Formats: sequence, structure tokens, C-alpha cells
Amino acid sequence: MSREAIFPARGPADRLTAAFWRHPRLLLGLLLTPPLLWLGVVYLGSLAALLLQSFYSIDEFSGMVVPEFTLKTYAELLRPSNYDVILRTLLMSAAVTLGCAVIAFPIAYYAARFARGRLKALFYLGVMLPLWSSYLVKVYAWKLILAKEGIITWAAESTHTSGILNAILALPVIGGNSLSTSYVGMFLVFTYVWLPYMILPMQAALERVPTSMLEASQDLGATRAQTFRTVILPLALPGVIAGSIFTFSLTMGDYIIPQIVGNSANFIGMAVYQLQGTAGNIPLAAAFAVVPILIMLVYLTLARRAGAFDAL
Amino acid sequence: MTAAVEFQSVSRHFGPVKAVDSVDLTIAEGAFFAMLGPSGSGKTTCLRLISGFETPTGGAIRIFGEDVSATPPHLRNVNTVFQDYALFPHMNVRDNVAYGLMVKGMGRAARLARAEEMLALVKLDGYGDRKPAQLSGGQRQRVALARALVNEPRVLLLDEPLGALDLKLREAMQDELKALQHRLGITFIFVTHDQHEALSMADSLAVFNEGRIAQIGTPAEIYDRPATRFVADFVGSSNVLPPDLTRALGGPAQWASLRPENTRLAASGPVTGTVTALRYLGSGTRVVLDLGGTEVAALLPAGQPLPEPGAALSIAFDPAALHVMGDAA
Repeated sequence: MSREAIFPARGPADRLTAAFWRHPRLLLGLLLTPPLLWLGVVYLGSLAALLLQSFYSIDEFSGMVVPEFTLKTYAELLRPSNYDVILRTLLMSAAVTLGCAVIAFPIAYYAARFARGRLKALFYLGVMLPLWSSYLVKVYAWKLILAKEGIITWAAESTHTSGILNAILALPVIGGNSLSTSYVGMFLVFTYVWLPYMILPMQAALERVPTSMLEASQDLGATRAQTFRTVILPLALPGVIAGSIFTFSLTMGDYIIPQIVGNSANFIGMAVYQLQGTAGNIPLAAAFAVVPILIMLVYLTLARRAGAFDAL
Repeated sequence: MTAAVEFQSVSRHFGPVKAVDSVDLTIAEGAFFAMLGPSGSGKTTCLRLISGFETPTGGAIRIFGEDVSATPPHLRNVNTVFQDYALFPHMNVRDNVAYGLMVKGMGRAARLARAEEMLALVKLDGYGDRKPAQLSGGQRQRVALARALVNEPRVLLLDEPLGALDLKLREAMQDELKALQHRLGITFIFVTHDQHEALSMADSLAVFNEGRIAQIGTPAEIYDRPATRFVADFVGSSNVLPPDLTRALGGPAQWASLRPENTRLAASGPVTGTVTALRYLGSGTRVVLDLGGTEVAALLPAGQPLPEPGAALSIAFDPAALHVMGDAA
């Protein structure tokens, strides 16, 4: 057995470890450099380039981008036809977020409070499984489900509830010829594909609320509804906001679902896709892409003002 | 006088686990009552049965004479100070304290004024605007206390109220809780695994073991006349003497308990043994002897000469200090 107080360094690895031990920030710096380069240069850099493009304009005769600072493109963005696209996308995103939140909350609450062991594994599997299959396959599958000859129409006929389905389709604006060509159908598909992104952060937030806090609320005389409103919801709100950021921004940027399901009305994602592709109008596409960013910033500011992050 | 809380052969079984097993208990109004026991002995479950967070699988619980088996927690005039305090992190201290009044629909100005009074009662005036995260452990405990008292409960339940505090603060809080209870005159029931806490604060206590009550009595009764070997050992770590050793030491052939502080070391005696361990306690030294297979401890006051480990010694005691117990484990 060796009796030395200090062992000799066995090679460069020991010396390197010792250097890291003497300068803890050195290791941290080395670990952070690659991701910071990625985040700073590639990720935020490309975003800045996008932002810059939106301040350029397009020459109407040659179709070339004029690299001079102008607000012309933003003025174009606010033309009624483009403004409609923005408003439509905003309303759909808000509706999808709300729908996801309402459906996700009970699931997340159950998983956080009651599910243990195998049930919990089953919960994660159930939530994640749909994410493993191709997005396109799911959307096309939904188109078939929602189609006039699809399973929903068939099920409604077999259960003699066609009246309800027809009443929904007869609604102005959101109704349509069939579910697959209406805003209702588009809402269903969006809600389906983005639901996991709402459930997971909600469940994580709810899991952090100790049971004793709910008991304390009851103990002090609160009914279940009061406990929900004054304790559970405020404490889960950061998770709800996190989830809503996902569902909101994913809906705002999506260009595939509005093309496949719905009445072919234009959405921000589709507009960007067409402008940078067929139309070759990169500045206007960039200006469109800035809109969701601005909306999210406004949303987060409002949420912060309302105290949504006080429980963090 | 009606009892504040009454258990009539109350059981709470979780499958095969008998957390509480046919417990009979009567807690007088205005008492400072302790439920003492090791972890898993059923004391916390009993507390939760009173607050309503557990429902009995058998028996009946009455609070001031009323059967509460169908009463949910929010309708019981009983409030709890939780072990982790369970303060709402998103509310400031004043709103935390006023919570019980808020859910009952009291107006904002009135309830906040009342909350300030409660904060003054627990000596936290001026802390109303802080968030719980900005308080020390002792201050959080006071907020939890004020919050539980704001509804003017008829019974206050405290779950390990001092467990998270350091020694100095714990002693100060013991005195304060006692004074508060005296001033308010309401029934305090607290759960603890610390026998010093139970003995010094309570005016009567129940010792729990494996879901049952081993003994109920005043602190002096429990300490001086433990009913069972478990109580003797758990409360004050008394020496538990088996029948043959009791007889060899001059008592009857029965189980007996002998307090270490009533035990002296003697050069010779009817039974001799060897010193196996010495534990320095500051105010004295605990000397453990092996007397024919039974460990017997004697508490030597500070300043007395200490024996060497391995020394052959016997014990001596005042015969009146020997407490003969029944056969119960």
C-alpha cells in the first residue's frame, strides 16, 4: 500500500485534469464554445440575415432583390389581402392553442398526480408514439378520416348523428362542404399533431406542485374549483405558457396542413413558401416570417405582465 | 365537557398494511396533545384522519361530538400546519395568510387587515409583502402557523412542526407554541418523533407503535411509568431489564425499566459486567455495561471519574427508581 500524500501525475490526462481543477472556468468555456458558436452564428445569425432581408425590397420589373434599406416591404405586408392571411393564421393558432390546452390539462394532471410505474410509462408512450410516425402520413390519414366519404361521416350515419355533423358543417366561415375542406377539420388536425407539445411541459409543471400544497388549500377551506383556480392553475401556468409557445408558433409556421386540409385559404407558412419559391419575393417572405416572431414576443410580454412566470 | 377529538376503534388499512389499527383516543378540549412514535407508527395517519385527508376503513371519528366520516377537509373547522409548511410560492406572505378568508369570500380590505393581525401574533409584522422564498425556515414556519390560525379553527394540527428547524430555533419555537396555545385556548395536536419535544410541550401524549397506541398519559406518567418495553425504550431510552436480571438486582421476576440517570456505577454488586462503550454527552457521560447479555446504561454527571472500556463493574440504584412493567412488549 502506498503511503505518499501526493501521487505523481501518470501522464498528460492527469495534468489536464489538474489544469481543469485549478481553472474551473476553462472546462466550462471549452464545453460551451461549440454550442455557443452554433447558437450565436448559425442559429441567431441566420435569423438576423432573415430580418435584414425583410428590410430590402424587390424590383418590380427585373424581379431582383434591391439590397437597400426600405420599409416598402412592410407596407406591402399590411395590404388587406396579406393582412387577412396574418389574421387568419393568428386566429387559427389561438384556437389550436386553446383546444390543445383544454384537452391536454386533464391528461397532464392525471399523469402528474396519479400515474405511477407502468401506467406512467404507458402515458409517455401514448403521448410520444404519434410523434414517431411521419408527419405527412398523419396529415394525409386525417384527410381521409375527415373526408366526405370518410370514417367520421360513416360513423355519424351509423349512429344517426349526421344532424350534428351537418349542423357543424353548416356553420358560417368555419364550416364547409366536408370536414376535410373546412376550418373545423384544419383545427382538428392541428390540435392532433401539436397536442404532445402541450401535454409534456404541462405535466412537467404539474409534477413540481407538491401534494401538500393542494391539501393546504383544501385544509384552509377551499373547494376543488377554488383550489384549481388559485393554486393549481397559477403554479402550472409556466408549463401552460411553455406548451402554448410550441403549439402557437408551430401552427403559425406550418405550411403543409393548410395545403392538405381546409379550403385552400392562405396561411403565413403557405405565403412564405409561395413567396420564396414560385414568386421569388424573398423580402416579402422574410417580412411574413417576422410576423410570428413579433406576435410571440408580444404574447410573452403580456404573459409576463399578467404574472404567469411568478411561480418560476 | 365534550372531547375535542374522539377516536372510536378507528382503523386505516392500506391493503395488508395496518397503518392505524383500532385506535381509541380521546383528546380533551384545550389540550396540547402530542402523538409520539417512530416513523411508520401511524401517528401521521392519525393526524390526517382528523384533518380529513385520510378516511378510516373502520371505526368512527368525532370532532366536538360530531361524526366527521362524511365531512370533506374543507368543511372541517380544523386547520393544519404542514411539515413542509406548504406555503403558496406565487403569493406573498399576506395573501398566504389571508387565503383561508379569501376562499370563504371575505372582502379584500378586511381579510388583509386580519392577515396583518395574524402576522403580528406570530411576530412577523412588516413581512407581508415578501414571498415565501425570501424567508428563513423559522419565518416560514410562523407564516404557516398564522395561515392555519386565521380561520380560527377549534383544533390546530401540527405535523412535525419543528422538524426542519435547527436546535436553538426549535427550543425557542417550543416555548412560543406553548405560549400561543395558552393564549388562544384552542386544542393543539402535534405529531413528532422527538420524545424531548413531546415531553416538554405536551400536557398529555399518546405513544404510537405499529399502528396502535402503546400508552396514553401525561409526560410524567409516560416517562416515569412506561407501560410497555417499547415505551420505556423509545421515550428517554430507558434500560429495559428482563425478568431474571430484575430478580438478580433485587426486584420481582418481571420486566422492569430503569432510567440511566437513576443508575450509578458500583465497584461490586449482585451482577457484574464489563464496560462496552462510553458516550460523551456534554452534560454527562453515558456508560454502557454488558450485564450478562443485557445492555444497561448509566448516566454519569460531568466531573465524575470515568471507567476504562473493558473494566468490570456493577450498578447500584434506589429501589424506588425501578419501575416494574407488565408483560406487554
